[in-house]
Amino acid sequence: MRQQYARRSQVLAGVMAFFSLAVIVQMTRIQNSPEAAVFRQQSENYAYELKTFYPNRGEIYDRNGRLLAGQKTVYEIGVDMNTMTDSHAIAFAVSDALGMDYNQILEVLQNPPEGISYIVLADFVEAQTALYLRELKTALQEQAPEGALGGLTGLQFQSHPMRSYPENALGSNILGFVNREGKGYFGVEENYDNLLAGNPVQVLVPTDPNKAFEIPRVPDGTTLILTVNRDLQASAEKILDNALYEYGAQDGVIVIMDPRSGELLAVATSRRMDLNKFWNYGVVYSNATEFNSAISKTYEPGSVSKILTMAAALDSGTVTPNTTYLDTGSVLIGGVTIQNWDQNPWGVQNMVGCLQHSLNVCMVNLAVQMGPGTFYSYMDAFGLGHLTNVDLAGESAGRLKVPGDSDWYPVDLGTNAFGQGVAVTPIQMLAAVSAVVNDGRMVTPHVLHAMVRDGRQYDVPAQFAGSPISAQTADTLTEMLAISLESESSQALVPGYRVAGKTGTAEIPVDGFYSAAQTNASFIGWGPVDDPQFMIYVWLERPTTSPWGSETAAPVFSEMAKKTVVLLDIPPDSIRQQIRASR
Amino acid sequence: MNLQNVNHLIHAYRIAPWRVQRQWFGSALLAVVVLAMVAALYLNVTSRTAIAGREIQDLTAAITLSQQVSSDLQTQLASLTSADAMESRALELGFRPTEPDEVEYLVVPGYVPPAPVDLSSTTLPQLSALTIPPEFNQSLLDWLDETISSSRGIQ
Repeated sequence: MRQQYARRSQVLAGVMAFFSLAVIVQMTRIQNSPEAAVFRQQSENYAYELKTFYPNRGEIYDRNGRLLAGQKTVYEIGVDMNTMTDSHAIAFAVSDALGMDYNQILEVLQNPPEGISYIVLADFVEAQTALYLRELKTALQEQAPEGALGGLTGLQFQSHPMRSYPENALGSNILGFVNREGKGYFGVEENYDNLLAGNPVQVLVPTDPNKAFEIPRVPDGTTLILTVNRDLQASAEKILDNALYEYGAQDGVIVIMDPRSGELLAVATSRRMDLNKFWNYGVVYSNATEFNSAISKTYEPGSVSKILTMAAALDSGTVTPNTTYLDTGSVLIGGVTIQNWDQNPWGVQNMVGCLQHSLNVCMVNLAVQMGPGTFYSYMDAFGLGHLTNVDLAGESAGRLKVPGDSDWYPVDLGTNAFGQGVAVTPIQMLAAVSAVVNDGRMVTPHVLHAMVRDGRQYDVPAQFAGSPISAQTADTLTEMLAISLESESSQALVPGYRVAGKTGTAEIPVDGFYSAAQTNASFIGWGPVDDPQFMIYVWLERPTTSPWGSETAAPVFSEMAKKTVVLLDIPPDSIRQQIRASR
Repeated sequence: MNLQNVNHLIHAYRIAPWRVQRQWFGSALLAVVVLAMVAALYLNVTSRTAIAGREIQDLTAAITLSQQVSSDLQTQLASLTSADAMESRALELGFRPTEPDEVEYLVVPGYVPPAPVDLSSTTLPQLSALTIPPEFNQSLLDWLDETISSSRGIQ
């Protein structure tokens, strides 16, 4: 009996062992079958997913740490088609909250493209609206019967950053903007797009949480600190707007620069747009040069460029401040008679009188005495016809015709001497005249003060663009210009501060002829003369109350300079001299 | 000693059949227990690794969220203190723009005019992520596989 049980047990054990062995053999066979290899291959395809980590775009600050361009969170609103329960409810809620067409949304949800499991309904939705929809979804879920799903089940919200400009239109011409694809256009956003955007990093991320991976540290884009002073920029824009209204000008520019370093403190243009609504670009501007006319729009500068002619004449030894000549009111050059602005003779004048009364005849004489070679060599050294390389996108080079060009005529030597027949940008004029302000050294205008990356700040050093004239010439000319303003009791004068500068009134060609009624009125000036800390250029296009720069641009310069000395904490000359004496 | 005595001795010292069976059973049970322990250890390590991996994912998401919130707040603050907003508030409070001749300057010995902002961080971030030692992200099977592979490599 006992042996019988033992035999049965052995048979049972043998059967179980056989089945176990069969299971193991089958497992081994399946795992090594060709089909298993296919499945293994498929699983490897899903074991990792390639993720691109986009760094946050760098911020932009003004020189005092005021945020000019940052980020804000917006939402992508989509629907997971696998979990959606009520397409009508989603279409109604989304159309109501986002102002979209109900039928259009319903059509997309009820007839999705084949193979699509997620549909984007809207992107760049403001956080407030997205959070309202999310709360609605939660409320409907809570109201649903137990075990049932809410009406907005399947509605999903994905947050992501978007460029935001807290100052709206302030300094829009300097900043530029970023479109929804993250590409920078115009100004700093375009010029430093690569730095600001950073470098996206692509990483293979394992989907298996068992495989803990090293999360890549994606460095943010470089943060930029500009040389711009936000408060000065706001004042410049306000003063410019008032000037356009007061003088009936069509367009205008005010640029303020530190002549010692080339740092642009403010660049105000009359056309500005709210950068948070960059899609209005086409409404505000008719062409790209209007976005920042201070660097893109060329024009004939007129008498402000007499500073350059006089600088060349002094530096080349052609004249001294005391050199006199007899002004007859007109001069013949290249077969064309050039007259003074008032068409009157001014008699015997020295070079200070020449600048003070802005005499065209004097300038023509100087250019003729220097000769085309010397004159154009100086103008070239001053950078006319060349880019200043200001670090803003969209700069124009202007045009300086020179002997040898097919469209250069001998009369051009005369007209170029007083700023007609030459095309420049306001930033070019500032760069050129900076040589006079800065002891003969021309600065390169720039808006980038520093870059911040990985917590470290790298300051950008000032760059110089050559020395077209000597320090002595620069000092002499500055003194002559200061005396000129004081002698004529110019409206550009700033009480308490000694300033130097020059007005400009250039006729604008209309239908091929220069019009005396339509002018470019301008003023370029700097101060304090003994220690220049600011340089201001004012350009008003086609002022209607008066065509003269002395009556339109000069008072705007004075107003801007008064605001500048307050905002930059520049004490009056008497206080500064007192401080200097006490040291 | 005769042959009968020898047989007696062999019989006396031969292991009883039930003892042999028990030894086999015990060995098998020991193998099962060892396997169960290894399986439990593997399960434990695997589950802890999975939890750690999930926590890393959660913390990464939390960092991203915090950065977004921080950027939002920074931008909101900048909007509230924008040039327009500050000017409006100043005017509402009865202030007006000052003129150059209204400003009084005091000579303060040792005064240094304010320099442009410095946004350098006082605590610099790590330039690269720390390397996670293999002990923290390697399963037991991975370790065994690596050990076997390396020993094969040495041979």
